[in-house]
Amino acid sequence: MLAVFKRDFKAYFTSAIGYIYLGAYILVLNLLFYLNNALGASPSLSGVFSFMLMVMMFVTPILTMRVFSEDFKQKTDQLLFTSPVKLSGIVMGKYLSSFAVFVCLLLLTLLWPFAISVFGENNTAEVVGNYIGILCIGAAYIAMGVFISSLTENQVVAAVGSLGLFVALYILEVVALIFYQSGALPMLVMRSLRFISIYGRYNDISRGVLALDDIVYFLSVCAIFLFLTVRGLEKRRWA
Amino acid sequence: MIEVSSLTKSYGKSRGIDGISFSIPEGQIVGFLGPNGAGKTTTMNIITGYLSADAGDVKIAGVDVLENPIEAKRHIGYLPEQPPLYHAMTVEEYLDFAYELKGVKSGQQEHIGSICQMTGLSDVYRRVIGHLSKGYKQRVGLAQALIGDPDVLILDEPTVGLDPRQIVEIRNVIKEMGKSRTIILSTHILPEVSAVCERVLVISNGVIVADDKPENLAGAISGERTLLARIAGPRDGIQSLLRGQDGIQSANHLGEMETGSHDFVIESKPNIDIRKPMFAALAKAGYPILMLRPQDASLEDIFLKLTDEAVAHEKPKKSKKTSARPQQKELDELFMDEEEDE
Repeated sequence: MLAVFKRDFKAYFTSAIGYIYLGAYILVLNLLFYLNNALGASPSLSGVFSFMLMVMMFVTPILTMRVFSEDFKQKTDQLLFTSPVKLSGIVMGKYLSSFAVFVCLLLLTLLWPFAISVFGENNTAEVVGNYIGILCIGAAYIAMGVFISSLTENQVVAAVGSLGLFVALYILEVVALIFYQSGALPMLVMRSLRFISIYGRYNDISRGVLALDDIVYFLSVCAIFLFLTVRGLEKRRWA
Repeated sequence: MIEVSSLTKSYGKSRGIDGISFSIPEGQIVGFLGPNGAGKTTTMNIITGYLSADAGDVKIAGVDVLENPIEAKRHIGYLPEQPPLYHAMTVEEYLDFAYELKGVKSGQQEHIGSICQMTGLSDVYRRVIGHLSKGYKQRVGLAQALIGDPDVLILDEPTVGLDPRQIVEIRNVIKEMGKSRTIILSTHILPEVSAVCERVLVISNGVIVADDKPENLAGAISGERTLLARIAGPRDGIQSLLRGQDGIQSANHLGEMETGSHDFVIESKPNIDIRKPMFAALAKAGYPILMLRPQDASLEDIFLKLTDEAVAHEKPKKSKKTSARPQQKELDELFMDEEEDE
């Protein structure tokens, strides 16, 4: 697992993908931070983070599209899957390498609360909540992206597939909200939607309300998609 | 060392391999021979645990690949048809990765160093794999298979794409490694088999059609059936005598190589040794035999023959002549396909 993690993490930065991913994020987000917090003279990071959530939908596929697709294409999966390593170890190694790049990004953004602390005062609960929330949602997105990537040897298909999944989840949420306000949906359906909603839970956490069930929820989403990845790869052998 | 029993794998409706069984003792170099699409790669992928069979099982050093994959895979080094290389890495990084991935625990530097020595990679050790020539890429793949010092090596067409000098080098490496390891290598280059292997398994359409030493295979198929004879005497007289002889399928005049004698290629009917009766008949007629030798079929002939026979066997209604043709055509197409790939 460690070998796969190390190789994949390094591979992000020997190819352009790691730099594109970090560069695109940092460029857009720092611009927004400048507009929102510097020019707007606001100490609240919530605006930047909720924008980051949107950007993440579009940029995470860049991070995860190559995870398995590239190996299938280059046939290096033959090396991985014929080595004396468990399939789950390979999947975890690859997942964690993508997650680590994402964590690097978050570390770079720590500049924001630091800048605010110099010129004003942070709302600690809000900042911590936003970071935990974005970490959770990033972990879930990457797990989904890794799963999609394990289905195809075409990186473009993997990227578009992941993007489609993220956007679909988001739209589902928005549509549900509209129906809720118009009262067209029965309460039970609304409750269920609310229960599986990624963004609803993110909102709770980002407001600084850290509940155990939210954390368990995000861990479960990751676990389910990584499990599906392992099962899918096993099934490939029988195809 | 390797036990394969009644392995079957289908792709959709077509049978990839159909009930393949063989067993290979320790330290043997075995060649898998067969046209493209015969099931060589599929068999290898199943042995290495990359694919799973529909039925049948594989045991490596007594360990079942399906039941205990991790333990079985520890015994195997695999070089697939297309070497599994990360093109952005240097040879050094790649071999270090393979070393860590396989969880090898003997001194990393010396282990990788000696493998590079053996495969001739020392010169390109720090170069990026994507920039290497095909021959070197193949060697990196081979080096990867050797990491962890596995006692079974599975090599899928290890000499494809190499120049003649490299082919000889790689073959020598394989022979050298074969002294202490069990090796299966697949190829459709026939001389390779006689150069390297102690035993040949010919696969055609997913079944094993022959299993023998390369030299026996040549003998068994054609040695006694086709004879080259130089006989002194008039051409017509000899020819009509030969053609009249029981057990002779055909006798074709080749030419006059030595004054006063004629060369003939004589093919006997199956399972008949015509040498004695032919000698007696010719002696009686006063045509002395100046030379008589079995015409060795080249491995190419054997190969075509065996794979043809497999086809004829499967479709017994068709006569051999008609079944031979599509097979030949199929082979041509397959080879053409391959050229396009490259």
